[in-house]
Amino acid sequence: MASTAEAVIPGQRLGHAQEYIAGSGTYLHQDFLYASVVGIKQINPSDNDGLPFLTVQRESSQSAIPDIDTIVTCKVLRINPRFASVSIMVVNGKPCTDDFQGIIRAQDVRATEKDKVKIYNSFRPGDIVRAQVVSLGDARSYYLSTAANELGVIFGTSIAGGSLVPISWQEMQCTKTKAVELRKCAKPL
Amino acid sequence: MDRKRVPGPELTVPPLVEYALDQKRWSPQEECRHDANRQPEDLRPIYLKTGLISQASGSAYIELEKTKIACGVYGPRPIKKSGYGFSGTGTLNCEFKFATFACVKRRNHIRDPQERELSMILTQALTPAVRLELLPKSAIDVYITVLECDGLSSCFAAAITAASVALAHAGIEMIDLVAACSASYVIMDRTLSSAVPPPSTTSDSAPAAVSLRPPTIIMDADLEEEKFEEGSIMVAYMPSLNEVTHVLQNGKVDRSIVSQSVEHCIEACNKIYAVMRHALVESIDEKQTR
Repeated sequence: MASTAEAVIPGQRLGHAQEYIAGSGTYLHQDFLYASVVGIKQINPSDNDGLPFLTVQRESSQSAIPDIDTIVTCKVLRINPRFASVSIMVVNGKPCTDDFQGIIRAQDVRATEKDKVKIYNSFRPGDIVRAQVVSLGDARSYYLSTAANELGVIFGTSIAGGSLVPISWQEMQCTKTKAVELRKCAKPL
Repeated sequence: MDRKRVPGPELTVPPLVEYALDQKRWSPQEECRHDANRQPEDLRPIYLKTGLISQASGSAYIELEKTKIACGVYGPRPIKKSGYGFSGTGTLNCEFKFATFACVKRRNHIRDPQERELSMILTQALTPAVRLELLPKSAIDVYITVLECDGLSSCFAAAITAASVALAHAGIEMIDLVAACSASYVIMDRTLSSAVPPPSTTSDSAPAAVSLRPPTIIMDADLEEEKFEEGSIMVAYMPSLNEVTHVLQNGKVDRSIVSQSVEHCIEACNKIYAVMRHALVESIDEKQTR
């Protein structure tokens, strides 16, 4: 709940570090808090009677960028025995203006029996996958992981073209032909 | 039909000449500036507006009387080109381009060495203000197009100002805005040497003239004044942190004049900052009413 609303610009001094906790859109420099984006200054009370949070609500939303531990939604582009290449389209519920490249390595597909993972039994090109970023990866791609119950394929189409519904954590059924296909499914939230 | 070039219209009119034959041209002997209403320390009025280019993430347009510059910021976007290697921080790419019709002499479509150099300086002047550590593996592209140039160093200073406003408008996290201002050293009321421009091709007698009379520091010089300059300085400055990001000085001048002109530039940058601030606050209001 915003108690004070005021337009600020980058570099504007907002307050002393002893009075507030730096939130998003602000930075700390030599005991003072400054705004780092153009937006509306907001002071939010903290949860446990500590210092209030000082945030700047930005006016123009910047494109989301994947960071370590963020949950991303991506589309499988191609697979090979070692990893699945994906294109990251949504980061923490915010769409990216430009897709980021990512890979899900075979050892990151699930938490147990990592050596028995077969990529082609986990993902197929065209699947929509919910994954977590484990590392910023190499120059080209982010490294993603689906080693959690709520991570994995959330949407896919079968060979026949029907949409797939999960029937267990590693099986999905085609709605048209009732054929069962293997996937690393995400537990429905 | 020649499709690669722009042919002139069939009904042509005589060209507009910059100086009529009988018009008296300005020279430093006149003891006033090219624009007689301006004092040496006065800047030209600035018009600055954000949101000119709708498809860009952020954009700005700046106008200092005849100087007109458009700036667009795109990104941050992922680096896809191979060969760059992993980078934990983002990169800022700047491209400074004169429109073919921007200067007195026609410019080429292809980037020339001067534009390349100015692009590099622009990157250096802006990078300290952008929080690139928050944008790993990403790149921000800044494109500056000079539509009309009235004085090179003042035009370049305006480009830095516009680019930093465009970056802020794009919602990119910044430490501070960067305001830039230029100053020229012109020897006013020069009686010794004849007022033949430009002094850059100095003969042996010219340095003697320099030492006789200290040059006047003229802020935000236009093209006419720049033709008579002994040198110029451009300072890029972060007003609220009180830090200089870039100083570009050319020509030969006394040390005391340089430090004095840097102070003048910083003072002027603080004035420009007020304009930048106004433009950005206005951009918030526009979005809220929409």
